[in-house]
Amino acid sequence: METTHIKETISQVLQSILEHNNFEMNDELTAKDVDGWDSLSHMMILTKIEEAFQIKFKLRDLNKLKNLGSLVAVIQSKR
Amino acid sequence: MNLFTNLQRSINNSLKSNAFCINTMFYTYADFAQIISNIRVAIKESINENDSNIGLITNDDIYTYASIVALWLEGKAYIPLNPEFPLDRNVTVINQANIESILDSSDTIVFSEFNSISTLNIKNYELNLKPSEVSNDTLAYIFFTSGTTGTPKGVPITFGNLSGFIEAQWALDYTITAEDRCLQMFELTFDLSVVSYLAPLLKGACVYTIPKDEIKYSYIFELMEDHELTYALMVPSILHYLRAYFNEINCPSMKYSLFCGEALPLDVTEEWSKCVPNATIANVYGPTECTIYCMDYTFKRNCENKTHNGVLTIGKDMINTSTIIVDDNNNEVAIGEPGELCLSGVQLTPGYWQNEEKNKEVFFYKNHNGKETRFYRTGDLCSADKDGDVLYLGRVDFQAKIQGFRVELSEIEFHTKSALNKMNAVALAFTNVINNTEVGLVIESKPMDTKQLLDYLNEKLPKYMIPTQIKFVDGFPLNTNGKTDRNALTQLFTNQYM
Repeated sequence: METTHIKETISQVLQSILEHNNFEMNDELTAKDVDGWDSLSHMMILTKIEEAFQIKFKLRDLNKLKNLGSLVAVIQSKR
Repeated sequence: MNLFTNLQRSINNSLKSNAFCINTMFYTYADFAQIISNIRVAIKESINENDSNIGLITNDDIYTYASIVALWLEGKAYIPLNPEFPLDRNVTVINQANIESILDSSDTIVFSEFNSISTLNIKNYELNLKPSEVSNDTLAYIFFTSGTTGTPKGVPITFGNLSGFIEAQWALDYTITAEDRCLQMFELTFDLSVVSYLAPLLKGACVYTIPKDEIKYSYIFELMEDHELTYALMVPSILHYLRAYFNEINCPSMKYSLFCGEALPLDVTEEWSKCVPNATIANVYGPTECTIYCMDYTFKRNCENKTHNGVLTIGKDMINTSTIIVDDNNNEVAIGEPGELCLSGVQLTPGYWQNEEKNKEVFFYKNHNGKETRFYRTGDLCSADKDGDVLYLGRVDFQAKIQGFRVELSEIEFHTKSALNKMNAVALAFTNVINNTEVGLVIESKPMDTKQLLDYLNEKLPKYMIPTQIKFVDGFPLNTNGKTDRNALTQLFTNQYM
């Protein structure tokens, strides 16, 4: 799947859960850069991403999700 | 003091072994000893001899751990200051504890307006691990916990308290040796961190910490698997997070898996026992006021375990603690009757830091086994069975009054979990817009139809105990101590009126 398409879907997930779009979808984006992306919303975001891409993260995947770029890479590796 | 002579001996005997693994970097006991010695020189040079309460910026690095030992060897107490906490809270703590000097390993000093001493890049001095002379009454640390009134309250722990704890810890059958690899998952502002670094250091074992920017539960799993950890003390919340992935976890190296800080449900523990097939699993209990923990229960595999509402018993007193369960008038209740758990013994804090009002409220003297004994009221509702095992029933203040009836929130949680096949749930009492108390229920799940659940609860519970509102979250938020943040969950119900 194309990177731009994956990012678009992630962006929609973030917007639906955080209810804002004050973030830029560059590879270096981390949770710290985004308002409301805390430990509570993190689990919700991951679950929603799993649904959207019909994938399931492994426990080992979770530590690799350092920023948007690595998130996209992990999603690509699962499809 | 024996504690520090033992620590000195342990470090000296282990110089070539690893003492810490921090953010994938290993440090030997020799490295550690060198940094401790260097920081001791800095302390002597820059801190007034009579200045005993020293602030410590809690970074996840070797300098911060070495600072703790250096302060102790100098007979001084540390007061942890988490740089990620709100400035306001840290300043309150600094003022309350009369802190003048702060040890800081940050690249940029956090509190430049105080006598901050950088512990980074001090030049090497001769090794010096010889403890200075300290008395049992000298403070080892002061940890500040949130107070009900909003001002943090300080719990000072003396070297005598800490020695008493360590002696009791060794008396448990959870032996640490120089070959062990031990988890330290706690923020240094949480007192479970103290046993997590001190016990391994006293035995020449290696301490594995968690970098601050990592997701705790998944990082713990990787440490367990990649470094074959053998000893881990965790809060039960970690299990709730890991539960969805239990089938991916198999750690035969784990020898001791301890839990503390929250109620430990039996069903999760049984499932976890398959992830750590060779481990002794234990539920330890204790408030900061009684030095880290003071009661212990060893989980029995393939055997009946004592529970109340699905929560594992907290077992019996450790050797340096004596407990009683009392009614509102401080009279001991009969076997099996609920009451407030009270603790006494050498691990008990001398009292909250400069807070006489609170001290009068929670500490009291009572004749116990023929001796006038000082007790601490834990606020935990418990009962003891005929074997002396103590069952945790809930917080005294989690007990809510709904329409005049006493409601034990853990009971609602228990029945909810039974109905929902292992899903995690928290029951909360919250004040609604007309100032009535209602029961709210938060379920760790995607939204679903709750009719079946409510039918089940209506079968099990009186009407007044049935939750009036149900919310769903994908994961429970944790507070800085890694416990389920009940306050944040309560806001799910109260914020809608704002």
